[in-house]
Amino acid sequence: MHEMSIAMEVCRIAEDHVGLEALPRVREIGLVVGERSGVEPASLLFCLETLLGQPPFRGARPAMETTPGDDLRVSYLEVDDERPSH
Amino acid sequence: MSVRRIDVRERVMERNDAMARAVRDRLEARGVLALNLVSSPGSGKTLLLERTLRDLGDELQMAVITGDVQTQNDADRIAQWTGDLVQAVVTGGACHLDARQVTDALGAIDLDALHVLFIENVGNLVCPASWDLGETAKVVVFSVTEGEDKPLKYPKMFQQARFVVVNKTDLLPYVPFDVEKAKAFALEVNPELEFFLTSALTGHGLEGWYDFLRARTRGSRPARSEAGRGRARAGRPAAATADR
Repeated sequence: MHEMSIAMEVCRIAEDHVGLEALPRVREIGLVVGERSGVEPASLLFCLETLLGQPPFRGARPAMETTPGDDLRVSYLEVDDERPSH
Repeated sequence: MSVRRIDVRERVMERNDAMARAVRDRLEARGVLALNLVSSPGSGKTLLLERTLRDLGDELQMAVITGDVQTQNDADRIAQWTGDLVQAVVTGGACHLDARQVTDALGAIDLDALHVLFIENVGNLVCPASWDLGETAKVVVFSVTEGEDKPLKYPKMFQQARFVVVNKTDLLPYVPFDVEKAKAFALEVNPELEFFLTSALTGHGLEGWYDFLRARTRGSRPARSEAGRGRARAGRPAAATADR
């Protein structure tokens, strides 16, 4: 039920790392989601797709790796440095 | 096209958890017992708090932060029983409280005079388990009108909790709830749990809960004086609303 809060926090972390102006050029966001993290992967994916499909994002893909345990983290960001950002 | 990969490895909850650590440090430094009350909707959290404030208000200085999705009805109910500060957080649809909301609410509470801080979370056994609020302990309020298997259905919440209040015991003659079975299920997911059996409605079993609160706050600061109580009861506090 709280997956939207989690998804928004993922977006904030992305902004922290690349800056607002680079968010349209983020192509992929790598996530690690533990089975005991309290997050439903399908629901988080749906929330992320919704958020990443609208500005400032331009269709970044969430790439989710599920693990045992309770880990919940953003593992990496892929940014396209040549795509024009407007 | 040049795609750059940035290693992040940041825990999604890190910002919340950092704020929760700061809250915990502040509360611990002042010897405040902070209990995060979590449960399904309708388990009796608010009534338990009303009774506790009414019955222990002479002895302990208590403050309450209540989280509600859409109203501040709970805060209004609680405010009738205490002159102490009641902070209402209307989450505006969110299913849990987070550490930032607690940090904001703490700004209006005099921690130096406080024995106990109750945080009445949003009624929900799923999401509040993921948010550390800086509390001393989570307390699950578990009413006997629910299924005994709640701990198995919502293991994360019971794993995160330290105490379980089995509430509405006045209804035990009328419902098929088996207390021992419920305890066994709870201990299966978390062997450390301690239990209280209460009826916040009739007062049954509340002495055990009160003794626990007294014991956990003994020596943290002088007991509340009669004079202080009279002053605190004089006015009904306004409940502040923090919208998110």
